[in-house]
Amino acid sequence: MAIPLKYNFRNLFVRRVSTGMTVFVIGLVVAVFLCVLALVQGVTRTLSVTASTRNVLTLRVGSQAEMQSVITRDQADQIKSLPGIERSPDGRPYVSPEIITLISLPREDGKTSSNVQVRGMDPIGVEMRPSVKIVDGRMFQTGSNEAIVSRNLSKRYANMKLGQPLKSGSFRWIIVGLFDASGSAYESEIWTDAKDLQQQFKRQVFSSVFVRTPDAAAANRYIETVKGDQRLKLEGKTERKYYDEQMITGDPIKALAFIVGLFTAIGASFGAMNTMYAQVSARTREIGTLRAIGFSRRSILLSFVLESLMLCLAGGLLGVVFTQLVFSTFLTKPTGTMNFRTFSEVLFNFRMTPPLIVGGLVFSLAMGLLGGFFPAARAARLKIINALREI
Amino acid sequence: MKYLNLIWRNVFRKKTRMVLTTGSIVLVLVLIVVLTSLLRAMEADPSGGKGSNRLIVQHSTGLGNLLPLSQRQRIEQIPGVVAVSPETWFGGVYKDDRPENWIGQLSADPDIYFDKIFDDATIDPKVNAEWKATRNGFVAGKKIADKFGWKKGDHIILRGTYIPTNLDLVYIGPYSAGDESNVFFHNEYLNEANWFGKNRLTGLYYLKVANGEDVPRVAAAIDRMFENSDAPTKTLTEKQFQLQFMEMMGNVKLLINGISLIILFAVTLIVANTVAMSARERVTEIAVMRTLGFRRSHILSFILSESVLMSLLGGILGVLIAKFVLIPMLLAVGEKTSISAWLINFRVTVPTLVMAFTVSVGVGVLAGFVPAINSSRIKIVDGLRQVV
Repeated sequence: MAIPLKYNFRNLFVRRVSTGMTVFVIGLVVAVFLCVLALVQGVTRTLSVTASTRNVLTLRVGSQAEMQSVITRDQADQIKSLPGIERSPDGRPYVSPEIITLISLPREDGKTSSNVQVRGMDPIGVEMRPSVKIVDGRMFQTGSNEAIVSRNLSKRYANMKLGQPLKSGSFRWIIVGLFDASGSAYESEIWTDAKDLQQQFKRQVFSSVFVRTPDAAAANRYIETVKGDQRLKLEGKTERKYYDEQMITGDPIKALAFIVGLFTAIGASFGAMNTMYAQVSARTREIGTLRAIGFSRRSILLSFVLESLMLCLAGGLLGVVFTQLVFSTFLTKPTGTMNFRTFSEVLFNFRMTPPLIVGGLVFSLAMGLLGGFFPAARAARLKIINALREI
Repeated sequence: MKYLNLIWRNVFRKKTRMVLTTGSIVLVLVLIVVLTSLLRAMEADPSGGKGSNRLIVQHSTGLGNLLPLSQRQRIEQIPGVVAVSPETWFGGVYKDDRPENWIGQLSADPDIYFDKIFDDATIDPKVNAEWKATRNGFVAGKKIADKFGWKKGDHIILRGTYIPTNLDLVYIGPYSAGDESNVFFHNEYLNEANWFGKNRLTGLYYLKVANGEDVPRVAAAIDRMFENSDAPTKTLTEKQFQLQFMEMMGNVKLLINGISLIILFAVTLIVANTVAMSARERVTEIAVMRTLGFRRSHILSFILSESVLMSLLGGILGVLIAKFVLIPMLLAVGEKTSISAWLINFRVTVPTLVMAFTVSVGVGVLAGFVPAINSSRIKIVDGLRQVV
C-alpha cells in the first residue's frame, strides 16, 4: 500500500526554511537553464521560421553564404529564361537578382557596433517573401536610394527610425518603411533596390538570384536544371535548406547550454540530496513506525522519492516563473548574436514556449529523482527495531 | 589555529553531507572557472601587449568592403609609420568546409611582413628568406602546421569563396606567435588570379607605428586623410580589432557574468543550508561547549570556519578539475568546431585562479554567517534542554 502524498506534502512544510532554500536553489538553476535554452531556441527559430521550400536561392557553386557568392549580370539574365519559374498575376517572372553587402553600424546604446546585412533586391523580391509585411511607411522606390528595415532592427540600431538618413562610409539611404518579417532571418536585414546598391557599391555583379517556383517538386526540378547547366556553374538551394545550414551558428550556445545545464543540475541535485538525507535522519523514528504499522520497504522508497520530486517540481515551477519575469522585464527588446556563416548579426527574441516550460519541469524532476533516490533507499533499508530505538 | 583539528573533524562529521556539499561547490567552481577563462580568452590580446604599436585600417563600413590599394602609399607617408602591408582575408575552404579544417588565410607583403610589422612572431630567418623568394609559398602558424602535419614542399589547395579563385600554395615553414591559427601567402600571388579586386583592392592594411605615443595621432591622421574619399577608413588598434568580433557576438559578457552570479548565489544557498542543518543538529553539543567555557565568539568562528574550509576545499578541487580535466577536454572538442579560433588563449590564468579562490572563500563566509550567528546566540539553558 502506498503512503498518502499528504504525508510528504505536510512534511515539506515542517522544515520550512530548509525546504524553501532548496526550492529556491532549484528554481534558480532551472531559470538559468531555461534562459540559455531560450537563447538557442531563439536563434534556431529565427533561421527556420517561414523559410519556404518553393523559393530557391541560386548561388555560385560552393558558396556557404550569399555574401561569398558572385553572379554576373549575364548569368542572372540566363536564369530568368530557365523553365519552371512562377510568374506573377501580371506576368512578370518571380526572379530577383540580389546583392548582399555588410555594413558595420552602431547599436542603439552608441557604444558597440555590429555587422548588418544589406540586401539589394528587385522590388518583386519583396512580393516573393510573403512573410514580410510593411507595417509602417512605404516600400522603397528604385533610383532614389531608399531603404526599408525591419522593425526589430530599427529598435536595435541607432539612426534607423522612419524618415532618418542612414549613413555608413560612402553609403547613404533614407529609411522610408519598416517591415515585419514574422521573426525570420530577414528581421536582421536592410532592404534596398539592387541597382541602387550596385551603384553605391561600385560593383556590377550580384550575390544570388532568388527564384520562386510553383511547388516543392518544381523547386527540385529547377535545382536540377541549374546543376545540369554547364554554362552557369551555379547551384540552387531551397530557402529552407539554405537557412537550415546556417543553424551551426547556434552550436556554440548549445554546447554552453549543455555544459551549464549538466553541471548546475548535478550541483543542485546534490543540494536536494542533502535536504532529503536530513529529512530521512530527522524522521527515522517515523519511518520505523510506518514500517511497524505495515507499510512495505517499497512504499517507503516510493514515498521519499515522491517527496523529493515534489520538492524539485516546486523549484521547477518557481524557475519557470523567474524566467518569465526576466523575459518580460529585462529581455523585451530583440537580442542579437553573430551568425558565423554570414558574419552578420542575427536578431531574435527570447520567448517562453510550451516545450520550453515542459523542458524546465522535466529538468527539475530529473534533479528530484537523482537527489531523492539515495536518501529514499537509505530510508527503505532501515531496520524497524533500530529505527524505533532512535531518539 | 589550535582549534583547526576540531573544525576539521566537524567538517567531516557527516561524510555524505560533506561530500555532497563540497561536490556542488566543485561543480559550480569548475563551471565558473571555465566560463571566465572562455571570456578572458575571447578578450585576450594574442600578441600579449606587443601589438600595441600596430594598427589595422579597414573600410569604415566594416570588413565586408575592400579598400583601394592606392591608399598604401599615402599611409606610408604619414610620419611615424614604419611599414604598411596590405592584407586580404581569403576565406577559402581547405579540404572541405568542416569546422575542424578551418584556417585563417591572409595575403601579406612578405618583404616587410615578419621583418617590420608582425615582429613579435618568431620565424627562422632561412624560412623567411625562402618565403620571400617563393612566389606561391606560404608560412603557417606552428600550431596548425603541426595539426595538418605539413612538411616543407607540401602543396595545399585553398578553394576560394567570396574571391572566386583557387590558390595552389606550397608550404615553406612555420612561424611561432600568440596567434598561430593563420597561414600567410604573397599578395602578388593572389593578384595573379583574376578576381574583382585584382591589383586594385585589399581587405585591410596592417601597419606598425614607431612610437607607442604616436598611435592615436597616426590613426586619426589616416581616417582624416580618407574621410571624404570613395573609401573612407576606420583605423583600429589590434586590440580594438579583436574586440569588434567580440561585440558582434552580442552581449556574451553579460550572459556569462549573469550565469556565474546566479549559480554562485545558488551554491551559497546550498552551503548555507548544509551549515545550518549541521549546526541545528549540534545545538546540545554547542551548549555543552559553552558550559565548558568556550565563548560565543568561539562558537561563531568555529561554525564560520567550517563553512569557509568546506568552500575552500571545494574551490581548490574545482579549479584543479577545471584546469587539468575539463579545459583540456573542451579544447580537444572545440578544435573541431567553428569557434576554434576563439580558443587560442583558452587557459586558466593567474587572475582567474585568484578570482576562483576569492569567490570560494566568499561563498563560505556568506553561507556560514547566518547559521554561525544563530548558533552563537543560543542560550545555554535552551540548548541543553533541547532534544534533537
